[in-house]
Amino acid sequence: MGLLTILKKMKHKEREMRLLMLGLDNAGKTTILKKFNGEDVSTISPTLGFNIKTLEHRGFKLNIWDVGGQKSLRSYWRNYFESTDGLVWVVDSADRLRLDDCKQELSALLLEERLAGATLLVFANKQDLPGALSKEAIREAMGLDDIKTHHWCIIGCSAVTGENLLSGVDWLLDDIAARVFTAD
Amino acid sequence: MDAQDVNQGNNNNNDDDGGGGGIRIPERLLRREQARQEDAERRRKAKEKQSVTEENSEFFIVAFNRDREAVEELMAACSGSDRDADAQTLDRAAAQTQELQKFLNDSVMFLAQYELRQAQASLQRLQTSLAEKRDEVLPKKKFAFRSRTRAKEPVPDAVGPPPVPGPGPGPATAPDGVKADVTPHAEQCGFSDMAAAVLTKTSEEIDKQDVLLSHLTDCRVRLYGSPCTVHIKHVRGCEILCGPVTGSVFVDHCSDSTLAVACQQLRTHHATATRVYLHVTSRAIVEDCSGVGFAPFTWSYPTLDRDFEASGLDRARNNWDQVDDFNWLAAGTPSPNWAVIAEEDRRTTWDL
Ligand SMILES: Nc1nc2c(ncn2[C@@H]2O[C@H](COP(=O)(O)OP(=O)(O)O)[C@@H](O)[C@H]2O)c(=O)[nH]1
Ligand SMILES: [Mg+2]
Repeated sequence: MGLLTILKKMKHKEREMRLLMLGLDNAGKTTILKKFNGEDVSTISPTLGFNIKTLEHRGFKLNIWDVGGQKSLRSYWRNYFESTDGLVWVVDSADRLRLDDCKQELSALLLEERLAGATLLVFANKQDLPGALSKEAIREAMGLDDIKTHHWCIIGCSAVTGENLLSGVDWLLDDIAARVFTAD
Repeated sequence: MDAQDVNQGNNNNNDDDGGGGGIRIPERLLRREQARQEDAERRRKAKEKQSVTEENSEFFIVAFNRDREAVEELMAACSGSDRDADAQTLDRAAAQTQELQKFLNDSVMFLAQYELRQAQASLQRLQTSLAEKRDEVLPKKKFAFRSRTRAKEPVPDAVGPPPVPGPGPGPATAPDGVKADVTPHAEQCGFSDMAAAVLTKTSEEIDKQDVLLSHLTDCRVRLYGSPCTVHIKHVRGCEILCGPVTGSVFVDHCSDSTLAVACQQLRTHHATATRVYLHVTSRAIVEDCSGVGFAPFTWSYPTLDRDFEASGLDRARNNWDQVDDFNWLAAGTPSPNWAVIAEEDRRTTWDL
């Protein structure tokens, strides 16, 4: 079923989706959010608490929550899980030393019952950096192929150049829409 | 949205359809959606039952008031007659106030607007009177790092939220899985595992690279040029001077060191007894740090102007003294974990 057909079948209020952006601090979550929304990304400060952005995209109203990734804030993540349609997990592709930490946090997250129905998009961000790992290397290092509990997809992107941000979000929307509104 | 909504959507012609007329959603689709939602509802209810005692605003109000009164009692106990005892009591009061802030933060999701505002206002008053009390019984102390070897002062333990539970035994964490090679790659620009050395990189070597400095002890590092990002991990007794960085500088585990950096963001974790000479165009943060001093970036070298230009950093915008401490979210009381380095104590020469 095409997106347009799905859209037609949905009532206005159902065209709202809640997306949660998580990942370690410094991964580029806030930069992705602002870039996607066409804002200046050179003045972004480390996130204290969270940002919420509501934007329209392809007929959907997206409520995007960007939650600080600092260690002291990670235990608050669970406060934001309720009714999440899509989870955007952002990875700093050049931060090899924290990939393990990144993997652990993601697998802990996927055990959360309240995220059970959510689609997972992994953004292998900072692809513009010369030392960035490819999305295939990240897929392997993070053991993404072992994820059987969620629909997932990994996309290499750069929040600074904007490369692939759209295709990532589009995949996420298509998957959510299809999952929720398609008959088997 | 509940199951009823879906049924209505079927019966009524929907005006949002853009003229497509009443679209019939097949019966079996509706049943599926309904079942899905009933299931979600069941799970939610079960969960709610479990956590109802915590996530209950009445419980919150009682616990909040009890803890607030405890802080007030601590403050009242400071008579001004015994300085050390008062200092200790006030540190405890500050730690408990911070705990209260965390409790409030944690409860935001289920509190009504009114309760939230009340609690926030009450916390604000508490912080103000705590700051006043401190001024009253303890004269201001100046923060300085005159001696590096002085034993660390007992800073009130930064009260963190409860530790994040370890990851479960999900398949993704199986230790025997194939490991991709994620150690620093051969062409990684930077220095690792060195001691007592002078290490430099030229502008040409640095040119827009992501730089990693790790496991360095007693080294003097000079990075001339403009990296796009810098990671500094596990360094001790080092002096690290770095040209303008387009993106962020990420510091983790750094002690007894001096850093001079210009960057868009500075993120400092697990740093102790470290001085940072900083140009930052957005913000610097510290987390799990103590004894970190900040002063403006004053390092200079022949091609600095050119490198600033290449980095894209705004030279006129330097927020070096606006540091957020992620372990100290209490408004009004300054973080004990970082301070501005007094002008007379700042480094003025940088020659090797
Ligand atoms: N080179 C590069 N830098 C990025 C990219 N995305 C984010 N950054 C930088 O990484 C740092 C952290 O970004 P931020 O969005 O604050 O991270 P967050 O903690 O995940 O919200 C900032 O200095 C950004 O400019 C990217 O795609 N490429
Ligand atoms: Mg952020």
